[in-house]
Amino acid sequence: MAQQTQVFVPQPDRPPPPDTSGPLAWIRRNLFRDIPNTLMTFVGAYIIFTVVTAIVNWALIDAVWQAETRRECLDAVGRAGACWPGVAAWFENLIYGLYPKDQVWRINLGFLALVVWMVPLWLPKVASKIAIGLSAVMLYPFLASYFFLGGEKGIIWTALIAAGLAGLIWVWATALTEMRTGKPVGTWLVARLGQADTDEILQRRIKQGAALALFAMAFLMVTQISFEEVRTRFWGGLFLTLVISGIGITFSLPAGILLALGRRSKMPVISTLCTLFIELFRSVPLITILFMFNTMLPLFMPAGTEVNQLVRAIVAVCLFAAAYMAEVIRGGLQAIPSGQYEAAKSLGMNYWQTTSQVVLPQALKIMIPTIVGNFIGLFKDTTLVSIIGLFDLMNMARAVGEDTDWLGLFIEPFFVVTLIYFVFCFAMSSYSINLEKKLAAGRDRT
Amino acid sequence: MTQPSRMIEIVNLNKWFDQFHVLKDINLTVRDGEKFVICGPSGSGKSTLIRCINQLEHHQEGSIIVDGLEVEKKGKNQRLIRSRIGMVFQSFNLFPHLTVLENCTLTPILGLHMPRAEAEETAMLHLARVGIAEQAKKYPLQLSGGQQQRVAIARALTVKPKIMLFDEPTSALDPEMIKEVLNVIVELAADGMTMICVTHEMGFAREVADKVIFMDQGEIVEADAPEAFFANPTYDRSAAFLSHIL
Ligand SMILES: Nc1ncnc2c1ncn2[C@@H]1O[C@H](COP(=O)(O)OP(=O)(O)OP(=O)(O)O)[C@@H](O)[C@H]1O
Ligand SMILES: [Mg+2]
Repeated sequence: MAQQTQVFVPQPDRPPPPDTSGPLAWIRRNLFRDIPNTLMTFVGAYIIFTVVTAIVNWALIDAVWQAETRRECLDAVGRAGACWPGVAAWFENLIYGLYPKDQVWRINLGFLALVVWMVPLWLPKVASKIAIGLSAVMLYPFLASYFFLGGEKGIIWTALIAAGLAGLIWVWATALTEMRTGKPVGTWLVARLGQADTDEILQRRIKQGAALALFAMAFLMVTQISFEEVRTRFWGGLFLTLVISGIGITFSLPAGILLALGRRSKMPVISTLCTLFIELFRSVPLITILFMFNTMLPLFMPAGTEVNQLVRAIVAVCLFAAAYMAEVIRGGLQAIPSGQYEAAKSLGMNYWQTTSQVVLPQALKIMIPTIVGNFIGLFKDTTLVSIIGLFDLMNMARAVGEDTDWLGLFIEPFFVVTLIYFVFCFAMSSYSINLEKKLAAGRDRT
Repeated sequence: MTQPSRMIEIVNLNKWFDQFHVLKDINLTVRDGEKFVICGPSGSGKSTLIRCINQLEHHQEGSIIVDGLEVEKKGKNQRLIRSRIGMVFQSFNLFPHLTVLENCTLTPILGLHMPRAEAEETAMLHLARVGIAEQAKKYPLQLSGGQQQRVAIARALTVKPKIMLFDEPTSALDPEMIKEVLNVIVELAADGMTMICVTHEMGFAREVADKVIFMDQGEIVEADAPEAFFANPTYDRSAAFLSHIL
């Protein structure tokens, strides 16, 4: 019964059957598979065509581009076309509110500073990304608030602004030295002074000295500039929307993390307080919270102190957002298996080491889509501040139609505002998808 | 010759989960360099016992003394004791967001304040010892189960423990990977590490154990040298159990 062993010869590859690959095949398979499918394709195409042509006709072809008042638009095309001159006349207000026109450059410069601050985060070879991100969150606000507010600055205020300026300079110095030599600026400086091999205490002294010198220089620079004061009641439009949602977003993440950790704490007082706070703010609509803060906060303040209305709105938005963010983070924390905590404990890590090195990085990564979803929600929810009389982007758009020249012009400004919101939200959403992909790369066996 | 010093001394240990009495009057002494294997049916309290030693579980009665330090629920002793004990789990519990190397340098850098370069150097030594130095830059989930468990052993070694605890280190692994992990543990044993290993790998127990401990329903039923234990178990319970797994 001797069995002859045979040599295995693999078959040559054959091309796939015709009509199963290529764009034509895709079209046939997905759009014209059978009669109902073909019918749906035509109905769908018809609907898309009608909507798009209607919008294009209204917004571009039949639109009026030159007019002094809405009356002129109506006389020219009636309601068939958009009346853009009204939006154009109000455009600066939509973006900057009632901020004095000759001071608007300060807003632009303030936002430019943020962009400049953040650029190193996207540069390859820059290693201190976490420090740069943190500095942006902690120091940029001082710089920006002076750009936006201006006015008298006492010594403390000057020091804070100087810290902001010094932070910005440090960020770029570190980004540059890391790109060229791979070392953060402090280490680079130590090496340049030929002290790379001396003991750590001396090295730390050098770094501290350099930081102090940088701060002193920034302090001197800040004392040299002075901006005239622009009260917050002149703030408005997209600028105000970005200020409120920007502060809300930057506050909500760390506060949400602390609240979520607090809620899971083993100390009953802390966990009860955190739970109470979260549940309270989550079970009340944002509008109600805004109203409450607007009318009740002044009652709790000592007589004579006046809390500015914008501050009240920002506090309300921050607390509301923090409560929501806390629950998102808690969801992420719950997804971390207990084995991770046990491994960390058995290695002798303490609570904060475990939380910051093991638990949070994983929890935040899982929750990126939800966290960014929350940011987007918050950005849109800030439209509610119009309820207490702040002129954010949305409220400013409504104001156009109440101008005597442009009475009743509502659709056009809202159309523009819709576009602006879409651009911002879509950018955030795309960025989150991008971030997820980047973090997932190489880390999972997929 | 004097006897080696006592590394772990457990006296009259009792533990309850609510009403459930998991550990009953446990007494156990492990001397420096000794290797103990614990076996017994599922739910008998093996994991709970070794987890009490580094206080992943807290006991209610009795005392545990590790390397001269009394185990306490909180405080300085707990951290000191944990830094003298390395633990390896059934499910590896590597940190999936960190590379193999970062897994091994995390505690030395954070806890022992070792400079990064030195921490990486020692970590690479340990990784080489368990035979996966070339995987150092990979993430845990990119490795096989056996490789992950070996990383976990290397990670536990980075805190320079005097005692290693293993809780069923091979029961989540395929047969051919069991061997590679056991080999690493056998080598560690040969280097004189004190260890307690919960396992049902009886071949391993025969090879390295100084004592095999059989637990049932929260009690230590037998504690004997492996030859004696396998040849003629004193109790019917252990005999029945052995006939199951051998
Ligand atoms: N956190 C807990 N709360 C309540 N009961 C628990 C807890 N952990 C374990 N137990 C119970 O304690 C008993 C002993 O558990 P333990 O995990 O120590 O058993 P084991 O001997 O390691 O079993 P196995 O071989 O399945 O791992 C089991 O009955 C289990 O259900
Ligand atoms: Mg177990």
